[in-house]
Amino acid sequence: MIVCVAVVGHQNNPLYIQSFTEADDALKLHHIVHCSLDVIDERVNNPKKSGPLLNETFLGLLYPTENYKVYGYLTNTKVKFILVTTDLDVKDADVRNFFRRFHAAYGDAVSNPFHVPGKKITSRTFAESVSTIVKAFGLSSAG
Amino acid sequence: MDPARTPLGRMLLDEITPVVMVLRTPLVEEACGKNGLSFVEMLSPFCSFSNIDVPVRTASDQPYRLQKFKLRLFYSSDIRQPDVQVANERLKDVITQAGEKDLSNLSSELPQVDELLSSSESDIMPSWFQFFNKELIRTMSFSDHEAFDHPVACLLVVSSKDEQPINRFVDLFNSDQLPSLLNDGAMDPKILKLYLIVHDNQDGAPEKAKKFHNEMRSTFGSNSSQLLCINSSQGGLVEHLQNPWAPFKTDASPTQRLGGFLNIDDFNEIKKLTQDLASKHVIPYMEEKVRVLNQQVSATRKGFKNQIKNLWWRKGKEDTPDASNGPVYTFSSIESQIRVLGDYAFMLRDYELALSNYRLISTDYKLDKAWKRYAGVQEMMGLTFFMLDQSRKEAEYCMENAFNTYLKTGPTGQQNATRSGLWWVEMLKTRDQFKEAAGVYFRISGEEPLHSAVMLEQASYCYLLSKPPMLRKFGFHLILSGNQYKKSDQIKHAIRTYRRSISVLKGTTWSYIQDHVHFHIGQWYSFLGLYDSAVSHLLEVLSCGHQSKTTQEFFLKIFLQTVQKTGKACQVMRLPLPVINSSSLKVVFEDHRTYASPAATGVRESLWQSLEEEIVPSLPAARANWLEVQSNFTSKPNKNSNMCIVGEAIKVAIEFQNPLQISIPLSDVSLMCELCARSDDADSEANSLTAELQNDEATMLTTDRFLNSDMSSFALSNVELTLEGGGRKMVQLTVTPRVEGTLKIVGVKWKFSSSVVGFHNFVTGSVKKIQKGGKKNKQSPADSLKFDVVKTVPRLEGFIQSLPEKVYAGELQQLTLELNNKSHLSVKNLKMKISHPRYLNIGNQRNLNMDYPACLEKKTNSAEKTILEPHTINAPRNVFLFPEDTVVQGDTSFLWPLWLHAAAPGKVSLYIILYYEIENPESFMKYRTLRMLYNLEIFPSLDVSFQISACPSTLEEFLVRMDIANKTSTRNFQIHQLSSIGYQWEISLLQPTDSIYASPTLMSGQAFSCYLILKKSKRLDRAEANGSPVCSLTVSDIQLSTEGAGGKMYDSSLSPVKDFHNVERLQHGKSLEGDSNMVDFVLIYWPLDSETDPGVSDRPSLFSHHECHCSVASTSPISWVVEGPRLIHHDFSTSFCEVTLKMALYNSADAAASVRINTLDLSRNGDAQSRDESTLASGKQAGWYNVSLDSEIKVTSDVSGIQMKPLSSDSASPFVWTGSSSTKVRLPPLSTLGIPLQICVFSPGTYDLSNYILQWSLVLPDDQGNHGETRPSSGTCQGYSYFLTVLQST
Repeated sequence: MIVCVAVVGHQNNPLYIQSFTEADDALKLHHIVHCSLDVIDERVNNPKKSGPLLNETFLGLLYPTENYKVYGYLTNTKVKFILVTTDLDVKDADVRNFFRRFHAAYGDAVSNPFHVPGKKITSRTFAESVSTIVKAFGLSSAG
Repeated sequence: MDPARTPLGRMLLDEITPVVMVLRTPLVEEACGKNGLSFVEMLSPFCSFSNIDVPVRTASDQPYRLQKFKLRLFYSSDIRQPDVQVANERLKDVITQAGEKDLSNLSSELPQVDELLSSSESDIMPSWFQFFNKELIRTMSFSDHEAFDHPVACLLVVSSKDEQPINRFVDLFNSDQLPSLLNDGAMDPKILKLYLIVHDNQDGAPEKAKKFHNEMRSTFGSNSSQLLCINSSQGGLVEHLQNPWAPFKTDASPTQRLGGFLNIDDFNEIKKLTQDLASKHVIPYMEEKVRVLNQQVSATRKGFKNQIKNLWWRKGKEDTPDASNGPVYTFSSIESQIRVLGDYAFMLRDYELALSNYRLISTDYKLDKAWKRYAGVQEMMGLTFFMLDQSRKEAEYCMENAFNTYLKTGPTGQQNATRSGLWWVEMLKTRDQFKEAAGVYFRISGEEPLHSAVMLEQASYCYLLSKPPMLRKFGFHLILSGNQYKKSDQIKHAIRTYRRSISVLKGTTWSYIQDHVHFHIGQWYSFLGLYDSAVSHLLEVLSCGHQSKTTQEFFLKIFLQTVQKTGKACQVMRLPLPVINSSSLKVVFEDHRTYASPAATGVRESLWQSLEEEIVPSLPAARANWLEVQSNFTSKPNKNSNMCIVGEAIKVAIEFQNPLQISIPLSDVSLMCELCARSDDADSEANSLTAELQNDEATMLTTDRFLNSDMSSFALSNVELTLEGGGRKMVQLTVTPRVEGTLKIVGVKWKFSSSVVGFHNFVTGSVKKIQKGGKKNKQSPADSLKFDVVKTVPRLEGFIQSLPEKVYAGELQQLTLELNNKSHLSVKNLKMKISHPRYLNIGNQRNLNMDYPACLEKKTNSAEKTILEPHTINAPRNVFLFPEDTVVQGDTSFLWPLWLHAAAPGKVSLYIILYYEIENPESFMKYRTLRMLYNLEIFPSLDVSFQISACPSTLEEFLVRMDIANKTSTRNFQIHQLSSIGYQWEISLLQPTDSIYASPTLMSGQAFSCYLILKKSKRLDRAEANGSPVCSLTVSDIQLSTEGAGGKMYDSSLSPVKDFHNVERLQHGKSLEGDSNMVDFVLIYWPLDSETDPGVSDRPSLFSHHECHCSVASTSPISWVVEGPRLIHHDFSTSFCEVTLKMALYNSADAAASVRINTLDLSRNGDAQSRDESTLASGKQAGWYNVSLDSEIKVTSDVSGIQMKPLSSDSASPFVWTGSSSTKVRLPPLSTLGIPLQICVFSPGTYDLSNYILQWSLVLPDDQGNHGETRPSSGTCQGYSYFLTVLQST
């Protein structure tokens, strides 16, 4: 199950953090997302480790914490997408697919002329499409 | 780098050293106790040797020399595994002490991230970590699974005061007192024994001791017997520079003098003793033991055969059901011996030998599933690899293996795992693998909160030190660690870690995390009673708009509680609640410009200025020449600052914004000001500045300042408000200076929840200045908040009584302007200007008490036409000058009538400027202006349009079609009267009123049309006879209604209607100069029903609609009518019939016209007609037109009657024009002329006498060249139809 998705701007400022749990763990997820930025920075600055593809946006598994797995994705505008999941065996292809759809939704959201770049994403449509994508991810990985 | 010099190397050389077990009698302790030391403590400083220089040989006879060496001395009672509880208590003490020491730093400034990154490791890490780690490792000592803590030698100490010292020595080595390690067979009880007799020199000469010593020598052997004399100093006052015991005595109080009885001789003796102990006994003994053990091991285990045998033997043992820790190994087992050999070799720095033995034994232990021992050996292997500085990978693998294996062994292994982890960490740190080190720290953090707190904190510093630094993880682990510290009640440490993490988060937008950190720091500070610090941190979380409502409430509650605990009124420079929108700051002050309403202040200054232009004396006009100083006019003491007047409030509007979802109460919102009073004497102005700083911290607090504020030099307004959740509010604040001087508005302050006082300085924020009249130069924000307070001058307050906000179009209302003068001085020379005279006009003093609308009724009942005198229609006055003698005295009010006419629907802002001069010549200002603004919304009422067309049957008469539609949704109107205003125009009804227009009431949405006749007034002749100029306007009225108003008519020529009419005329563009072809209509009506909309005026009022410049001019200035009989009886048997007709021509143009009438005998064919029409259409083509000439020729050729046949085909019998076929006359302007016409009819019938053409051309005077070029100067007209019926008379 996806616990949290986040969009982080190119100055490492949070643009959108949404948790999908019932529990009141917003702070914890904030911390996790915040920390994973360090790993993203490391990956980006040492491209040798991140794989052979230079233009790869998918950063892969950032780090496994106690209960979660954190995946990252970096757009070419240096906006980071972070996915926190509790699933232990996640197929990379599923995550890639998730991020691709997420990226499209994000693109739609920032194309809104009323969106101020660098400010938090408040679009309700974006939130809805994200939750749809998240639900779809749960189905595909379960099935 | 030499591994021995690394931190880990030094640690290993310190910790993995031979242990000497000490057995002593109580008297020995007593002797040492005089110095405040125990025996072990006394010896310890001298047990580590930096240059012992002992020759050693390896097992394979390789000679080398040991330089650094250390012995560890322990009492036999201490040689056992420390109790876990005690150890933990001890560790906790260490941490608590460190926390206490850090307390002083708690309130100090924290280093920024950059500083942290640039400083070295030792600067960042708290120094007590090392100590803590050492203590932690020590809690794991004396385990039975490793041999380096096993005592190598035993030192038996007896005092010379003891009775029978020799027997005491024997008693001491009694197995009852020996540690369990020796007793349970984990180590060899045959241990190197050394005997020492201690003599206290204070008890007498050492002779007795020497005697005992000799006895010992004979009993135990000369080598192993020693004598130590101490306490040689009698006074006990020996001062030791760099007291060697201090580092070993952690709990020593500073007053205690350590080693006070030990003089330099004692020092040397102790040194000699320990050196002997190490070099002559311990090291040779260990060397010997290594040699022996090595031979044993080689014999049993080395070689192919032994290995096979060993393997097979162990395989066979596999089935034996055993404890989880594997079999018990006694000291005599070969496994233990190999381990001892390895450890001894390690301690003697023979790492090769140690490693080979560790390798040997590790496989054995593994096969035996003796996991703890296996882990211990792996650990040592790792360390040995490290010390050999080779095969890093293997070293790390061994450490990891050891770590994981320890963890496998269950809870007891946890501690060992921690130790191996710490060593592992040190190893990684030495190799700059900080990130991995942090991971290991994280893994050894464990369950116990305090322990994990320390480990997490160390992990965080590793993240900081890693390259590149991982700052976010640094912060995160600090927070995790702080959380654990808090769980174990180490609040000071918790605060320290959290505060450090702020440096990472500062400047980011991760507000949830920031709130968490600040909030907890604040809470913890308040636990510690440091309320000021607590408040400063809690302030940071106050504006947490992103949090949930409950969280916001919680934060606020805690904040207020904390503030209460501080026990004093809390003042905060930058209280984040509410948010102050600095850009919204507006300052409104009144110098010579005053405002009637707040709305008027919001208008652009340039707009007012453009209105003021005409009435305010301009500066250049006021002075005679440029040499004269401008200050004659207004002597401004300081031109850079604004002016305000004593007793008149300066208004400051600022927006407060609540970022929270909960409403917050604010009270005592007021400005902070400084006023420097100025003495009257301008010369000594500089000297007599008495600064009255009112925002002094001291005065700020006292609440009674507001009560007796009349003592102070200015008065402040005090606002109380509640900001709803998420709301924003403009707050109007005022300051009223009471004395002259310089006033400076510093900022705003407010009281939040009646406990916290917040300040906001304006100067720091940007200030938007709106009232910057006249001065174009930019001023700094500070200047715009600075005012020169000048002496009081009169100020008029004015308003318009009962001006409605919403009216219907056309409404005409009487209003009253009221001016109040509150001061004792009077003002004069009043002038006024209104921006929209179309809507609002200034009345006459006479109007004031008149009864409206009755005053507009015609005085006489006669329907006499009133003539508007020409001089009354001068241009509307731009500036209204009140009568010369108008003086508004002090404390009086002054009334003046105004008229409101809602001319056109829409929204309109009426700007009114009133200018007045101050009578007192010594006043600072000569004049002031009052600016008033009223907004009016006008709804459409009646839509009226007029269409005028020439009446074909009559000369100089026009049909007027009036269409009225009621555009309102609710109101009904009664049409009352229509007046026409024009040059000698007169309007009349087609039919009598009562026949058709019984009730011209228009319900809402209803439309209505009626026809009227407009004709020339008959008074034209009279007017001309009187010689009065033509340009006089005539008003003619008709009553359209028979109901209401008692049949009274209103006089459209009376003042308000007339004035507004003039404005309307101007409004529609054309000049006021009358055109005789233009006519204006005024429709007067009133609303019928009393059901009024709210907000709309319901006072009795008239409505008037003005329609201006309706042109009556037809296409041609020449109009004519043929007059004559219509029906004739004639006896055709006698003769043909001659009919005489008369054509009346009228020239409506103001120039003479030449008219030519051509009669045609034939009715035209369509061709000619169309051509004529085209001529008419393009009437501009001047002169005689060819075509018509052609037709004329044709006509003349047709005269012979050949054309009778085509005509006969018509029903009409032929007739011919007789008389002149072409008549040409000259028609003077505005005149009528009759021309006789005659026809001959030959048979009875009905004839259309339209077959004539009228050609005209205006004879324009030369100077009028192209005047009125829109109208044709010549044209040709087809005759009108005129039917004549001739009957055969009988």
